[in-house]
Amino acid sequence: MKKLLFIILSLALFTSCERKINEYAADKGSANFTTYISVGNSLVAGYADGALYHDGQLYSCPNLISGQLQLAGGGAFVQPMVNSNIGVAVYPGVRPKFVLGYKADCQGIVGLSPVLAQGDMDPFAPVGYAVNNLGIPGAKSFHLIVPGYATMNPYYTRFASSMTGAVVGEFANLHPTFFTMQLGDNDVLAYALAGGSYDSITPIPIFYYAMKTVLGTLLATGASGVMANIPDVTSIPFFTTIPYNGLVIPRQSLADSVNMAMEHFYHLPFHYIAGPNPFLIRDMSASPPFYVRQMQPGELVLMTVPQDSLKCKGMGIIDVNTHLPYPIPGEYVLTTAEVTQIKGATSIFNAIIDTMAANRHIGLVNMNSRLKELNSQSGIVWDGVHMNTTFVTGGAFSLDGIHLTPRGNALSANFFIDAINQRFGSKIPYVDITKYKGVVFP
Amino acid sequence: MRRITFLLLLFCFAAMTSIGGGYQVGLHSTKNTGMGLIGTSLTYDASSIFYNPGGVSFIKDKWSLSGGINLIMARVTFQGKDVNYQAHLIHELNTPFYLYASYKATNNLSLGIAVNTPYGNSLSWGDNWQGRFLIQNLSFQAITVQPTVSYKFKNIVGLGFGLVWAYGNVKLNKALPIDYTGGEGQLNIQGSTIGFGFNAGLMIHPVKGLNIGIDYRSKINMDVQNANATFTVPAAVRSQFPDSKVEVALPLPANLDFGVSYEINEKFLIGINLCYVFWKQYDSLVFNFKTKTPSLGRTAMPALYQNRLIPRIGLQYKVNQIVTVRIGGYYDPSPVQTDYLNPQTPSSNEIGLTAGLSVYPFKGFSIDAAFLYLMGTKRDGTYSPENFAGTYSSVFYIPAIGLSYSF
Repeated sequence: MKKLLFIILSLALFTSCERKINEYAADKGSANFTTYISVGNSLVAGYADGALYHDGQLYSCPNLISGQLQLAGGGAFVQPMVNSNIGVAVYPGVRPKFVLGYKADCQGIVGLSPVLAQGDMDPFAPVGYAVNNLGIPGAKSFHLIVPGYATMNPYYTRFASSMTGAVVGEFANLHPTFFTMQLGDNDVLAYALAGGSYDSITPIPIFYYAMKTVLGTLLATGASGVMANIPDVTSIPFFTTIPYNGLVIPRQSLADSVNMAMEHFYHLPFHYIAGPNPFLIRDMSASPPFYVRQMQPGELVLMTVPQDSLKCKGMGIIDVNTHLPYPIPGEYVLTTAEVTQIKGATSIFNAIIDTMAANRHIGLVNMNSRLKELNSQSGIVWDGVHMNTTFVTGGAFSLDGIHLTPRGNALSANFFIDAINQRFGSKIPYVDITKYKGVVFP
Repeated sequence: MRRITFLLLLFCFAAMTSIGGGYQVGLHSTKNTGMGLIGTSLTYDASSIFYNPGGVSFIKDKWSLSGGINLIMARVTFQGKDVNYQAHLIHELNTPFYLYASYKATNNLSLGIAVNTPYGNSLSWGDNWQGRFLIQNLSFQAITVQPTVSYKFKNIVGLGFGLVWAYGNVKLNKALPIDYTGGEGQLNIQGSTIGFGFNAGLMIHPVKGLNIGIDYRSKINMDVQNANATFTVPAAVRSQFPDSKVEVALPLPANLDFGVSYEINEKFLIGINLCYVFWKQYDSLVFNFKTKTPSLGRTAMPALYQNRLIPRIGLQYKVNQIVTVRIGGYYDPSPVQTDYLNPQTPSSNEIGLTAGLSVYPFKGFSIDAAFLYLMGTKRDGTYSPENFAGTYSSVFYIPAIGLSYSF
């Protein structure tokens, strides 16, 4: 019997005890990843949770891309690192990052909310070394060709090689062989974030000229690369978290008295019911003396709207003290006209980006359609991780509602990797999304 | 040297009870395992209670007892699609077993009872692997008890029927992509249940040396009504994920087996089996949480298994009065569609090769040994509901040992 067992077991040993699968073989294709630089705005800088901080930079989209490119001959990727994990004091009054915490609102109700992180920020100081990640928070397309931009944007000052030159002047000195670019978002986003009030959409000729110059300068270095187009910024949580009809009246009797006040005292034709109602907003085209109207479906409330005023002071309906109509100021709202402008400009900018990419053999990352997918009912599922554009629980957007979480950046990096592999016939493996966190709960 | 071989072997082996296409285990008697797992038309001993109750009345001895155990050792490697990531199934040992007893009450009427493990699936990929949001580890086992009656007419036709009582228990762990300082969410489900089914068989013995068997084993619904779901989540979302009772339903699929065997001469016996498995009965794995919240309710993981036919063949050679040897083989096509290939049951089309040996030290008593080698083919697939894609490569080594005594 023992002999038999011995024979059987030996037989088993002869056949290999492990079935091998070949490891993923990364390949650079026709690209050269030796010196990789990243060009763009806060989305590539690693800005997240409302601040530029150490871990956010570690999980920046281009840093994650670089990690994968290094499997196919890519070199080191230097970023202008912040040492503090809560932020860098680039100008007086700049806020640290948000973390999810507990906060009592004006009604004394304690709930989960983004709260400012505690601790020390880095003092503002140039890093003193050349960097591969040229992501500059706040940068619009044309900012990259403005001489002396380092004197206007302290995020750029941190790593600028010259106070008088332009960002495009950095490219040649870095001798890039490969680039990724995500630029142009702020050309519409800045206007959107200002509620259409204190900023403007970049005029098309300026956008065209700026992009052309940036790409021309990049390609003149001999580098090749991929670039992203502009997503529909109105679908990010910063604009979608508070619904246009977020004014909830708990009882009909309360709605009745509001109706009475609106009709008899102010002669405003708004009718309220128990349940959700549209907020009242300022609109200078509405009739005097109040210049107010109700929000329409499709109009957006910004996440920065003073929530305590909404909850306790009657903002969006009637002031609890003066009993006068109390509209949300225009800077916290995107009206239908503003949304239309943003979407229109985005599609023109994207037509320009798409054409320029195609004509210059630059790979295109269709970030616009990717965000649409993320914003859809089913969202995006990857290795059992379900992601969508919902604030906090969606997992992709950080606590500022604009920039991505590490997980969102990993997803974005994979979109770039798709475009790289498609354009250069390379085989760059995906980033393992399951290794990166979404919003961290307390 | 023997010891070294054995240790080496244990070292490089892992285990999983699911060696069939899905979560069915075909190891019910060591003699039959050596014969390519065929059994519907064979009457070696009391194992017929499981393979074909119709054959039990053909057992010549007053009493027949049989028991044994299998050692399933599996090696499964996973390579993620388009990522530089590989994972190996964690080494575990699983031991499906069987116990049978039959009693010849009259010349034509026999009674019997079977205790065995026809279904099961037990595997662990580890807590931190890439597919942890689908599964970390899973242990599911069904033990069945089958009291049986069998009656034969004129030594030509045997009919048998058994009631099947099944006890099943399930335990699973998966991670949840809910992050908190120092960790991520976790779900643990544990529960057990009982289910009922039947096993009916017909054995025909038309001419000397020829046996024809047909057997139908019904579907058994394993509906765990009150499993315990335990969530490890950050306090902030605790109200969304309260610990809850959960209903988990898993069908054990029906089988229709057809077998023919023929004794060519005193020495040789050849047999074939066609086993049709009604895998389509496994449509989805449903978790119905009893405590409902906006994040918790009824979730169904689609499985969409397909019915499959398994052809098997076996050959036996009686060396002498003491030694009998067997070989066999079969093809087990996977019931899992490529778009629904899940790391919970990384099933692929499999070719099984078997060898077996029985030693009869004295009349009526046998020591049985068998070895099953399963060459899983390398398989690419995606579990599309969770967009989890990769290549699975598996190989199984299953030694079995058993004892039979008839008197």
